[in-house]
Amino acid sequence: MMKTVARALSPLLILCLVLGSLPVAAAPSPASGLITTQEALSQDQVSADRERINEILARQDVQDQLVAQGVDPAEVEARVAALSDAEVRQMADQLEQLPAGASVVGALFAVFVILLVTDILGLTNVFPFTR
Amino acid sequence: MSFPLPAKRRGRRPAPRSRLNARLAGVVLLVLGVLGLAGCASAPRLASPEAMGVPPRVQLEGIPFHAQRDYQCGPASLAMVLNAGGVDATVDELIPQVFLPGRDGSVQPEMLATLRRQGRVPFVLDGRIESLLEELAAGHPVVVMQNLSLPAWPMWHYAVAIGYDLNAEEMIVHSGMEAARRESFKRFDATWARSERWAVVALPPGELPASTGPVRSLQAIADFEQANGSLAALPAWEALTRRWPEAAMGWFALGNARHGGDDPRGAAEAFRRATEAAPSLAVAWLNLGLTLAGLGAPERARDALERAAALPGPWQSHAEEALGRL
Repeated sequence: MMKTVARALSPLLILCLVLGSLPVAAAPSPASGLITTQEALSQDQVSADRERINEILARQDVQDQLVAQGVDPAEVEARVAALSDAEVRQMADQLEQLPAGASVVGALFAVFVILLVTDILGLTNVFPFTR
Repeated sequence: MSFPLPAKRRGRRPAPRSRLNARLAGVVLLVLGVLGLAGCASAPRLASPEAMGVPPRVQLEGIPFHAQRDYQCGPASLAMVLNAGGVDATVDELIPQVFLPGRDGSVQPEMLATLRRQGRVPFVLDGRIESLLEELAAGHPVVVMQNLSLPAWPMWHYAVAIGYDLNAEEMIVHSGMEAARRESFKRFDATWARSERWAVVALPPGELPASTGPVRSLQAIADFEQANGSLAALPAWEALTRRWPEAAMGWFALGNARHGGDDPRGAAEAFRRATEAAPSLAVAWLNLGLTLAGLGAPERARDALERAAALPGPWQSHAEEALGRL
């Protein structure tokens, strides 16, 4: 029973999400039919339309990923809207691999000695007392 | 502690001694391994201050310092550069905009996005230390990303460069819990290089970095415009065309921003300048034609659109369509 409902609902939900994110992606282009600066800058114009659809899906994907990472759902839309197309693609493809500035070392105690040596050699900057 | 003895004498030594030597050899191996891991870093070689055109010593005044709380070096660094540029954003306001709870940190694209949301244009520098010094000499504080640890156990960190001293070979950074910390060029560059020397200046629209060229600046402003709209970006495009009047894409972008700001005459003028700077820029002819058509000048519009239609490329079909509608 649940399965049938889910099967009927999910295409509808996908459609709603895609349509819901359309205005965000379409907003920057002026209504006059001029070619926007962003369109002119993106190199491969032949696939521009296909790319735009991918862009919308990628933005949705990044929003989902941010929510999964604990970002307040009320914030995600504004956060993703401020990303450029290239940054959205980067976030969608490799959010897990992107370095996150946090200034904590995620290492075991055994590493302590090695980092101490490299700190003294001036290659790293983990322990303030070595300076 | 003794140095390892030559190999031929090893057999005659008593057992505890050789164990000590083995331990020593282990430490030497470890250090060598670590050095190999870290790459052989040395202080960056710099041209003379005269050749770089920067003063030998710079320390920017009036850059507020925000000590980071746990994991919050990203929002703290953003608050420092934003406050320095006259934007009243607190660290607490910025945390929900940039911090990623699941990663206990902030990622670079979102650092840039947050600066855009605060009305500033983020310009990513070209990753040379000379560019960093140039920006500081021009009075721009620079957000840098460092890996304070080794690549195998990264400790990613954002800090704000606020000055340097070429004679002492030191950078001056607002970093972590320490304001105006002095960091040797060697250590700074070793830790900065691990982020591929990521560095950003955040400027109000209308101001341009000292070190970036037209292409890099153009992309930065186009990304800002996509997020904030053409009206917000208009002063930035005007500044770009003033600085690089030969950059046709700058005029093209200015035309679009003026058109978005309900100034079709100004837009047509900018598109015309774009076609003068690069007569083969079909998209500029196309937008010039469309704008002139909107202004009720079908003859001049036709001329421009015919130029666009004569140039092979992705805009040819657009131009032919527009000619058909005239």
